[in-house]
Amino acid sequence: MNKNENKLKGRDLINVGIYSAIYFVIMMAVAMLGMIPIFLPLLSVIVPILGGIPFMLFLTKVKKPGMLFLMAMIMGIMMLLTGMGPWPLATCAVAGLLAELVYRSGDYKSAKKAVLTHGVFSMWIWGNYLPLFTDYEGYFAQRQDYGQAYIDAVEKLMPLWMAPVLLVACFVCGILGGLLGRALLKKHFAKAGIV
Amino acid sequence: MTYSSEAAQEKRRSFLDPRTKLALVIVLALFVLGGLGGEMMEPIKRVLSVLPFLMLLAERQWKRFFRGLLMLGVGYGLLFVMPYLHGVLNFLALMCGGILTRFVVTIVMGEYLIATTTVSEFISAMERLHMPQAITIPMSVMFRLFPTIVEEWRAIRRAMGMRGIRLGGNRAGEVLEYQMVPMMTSSVRIGEELSASALTRGLGSPVRRTNICRIGFRVQDGILLLLCAATFASWLLELCGVKLW
Repeated sequence: MNKNENKLKGRDLINVGIYSAIYFVIMMAVAMLGMIPIFLPLLSVIVPILGGIPFMLFLTKVKKPGMLFLMAMIMGIMMLLTGMGPWPLATCAVAGLLAELVYRSGDYKSAKKAVLTHGVFSMWIWGNYLPLFTDYEGYFAQRQDYGQAYIDAVEKLMPLWMAPVLLVACFVCGILGGLLGRALLKKHFAKAGIV
Repeated sequence: MTYSSEAAQEKRRSFLDPRTKLALVIVLALFVLGGLGGEMMEPIKRVLSVLPFLMLLAERQWKRFFRGLLMLGVGYGLLFVMPYLHGVLNFLALMCGGILTRFVVTIVMGEYLIATTTVSEFISAMERLHMPQAITIPMSVMFRLFPTIVEEWRAIRRAMGMRGIRLGGNRAGEVLEYQMVPMMTSSVRIGEELSASALTRGLGSPVRRTNICRIGFRVQDGILLLLCAATFASWLLELCGVKLW
């Protein structure tokens, strides 16, 4: 393949936009659950599983390097705009780059690598939890208005050892989400003629 | 002599430049929603929180203005009655009130940005900021699609709810398959049509596009950008330990 064909064109960029929008809407709808303390750690399970559906659909359109990284960066920017702070931007860059490498090693078409790609990609979600562990006081100082009951509940749910657990949860559930996405892809989207 | 379309563009021109709006969104997201900065920033934050409402008034977006005001009113109302409630109700009132008062300002600002900025304006503003196309095109597609996706999802949810496919219905387990899948299918369809139309109009072509919409900084932009800069400056000063008041 020569270099020109590998360059991202208007159509690819628009595709990134479409699927990022769907992914983001689903994520936001689910993330509202995080207002209930018990769901806060569970988000690292729910978001990757549900996010797997649009993401696997997106992967069928990814044929060139850069698209995955771009989507990850856009997620980071959107997190910044929705007030999650700058941490996700960093994890997005890393997770996006790794996902890119994984999917590339499968030549942008291997189905098994696609599932693994989603697992790796999902690790960006971990960035949203980071302030909880690095800047504990600050995190709750700005969430004072949720009430002491909320803070106490989260405090109990989120000891420091949860940090690596959440990262692993993101990865494992990302793989589960990838499998779910692939199953639905076969069952519905192929039939509807979108893939 | 002005062309009629040029005059129309001038009339439709929004109160603020898209770049100013974006700067405001970022400042609000970082300081009001993200809670950056400590005690000293409180008065500045209060000024910032009022801004989106003023903007909506300046653009004569009455409906959005009153909806935002209503949400804020409900939020403060809940916080107000909270001490008189007990048990779970107290907790719920505090949480809903806290969430509403925290998010409304940013939501109103986001609504203002989306309602008053056309995609062309957004793109031409981004071009002047020298943002790479790889970021601006996906972002503008996203902002264009958000309302559409939400609308589609609402319609599908209503249709499926009638058959009991909803959370709490008798076929709740099928929500995933019969709500999310159709939502995605139709969103992708709409997106593809959108992309065909955008490509026909030359989006993403190597040639520099021209644009009819008028953007540019005016007095009100200058004032608001100064305010944004002042916010950052006072935050930095606070970090360095300087006390302004």
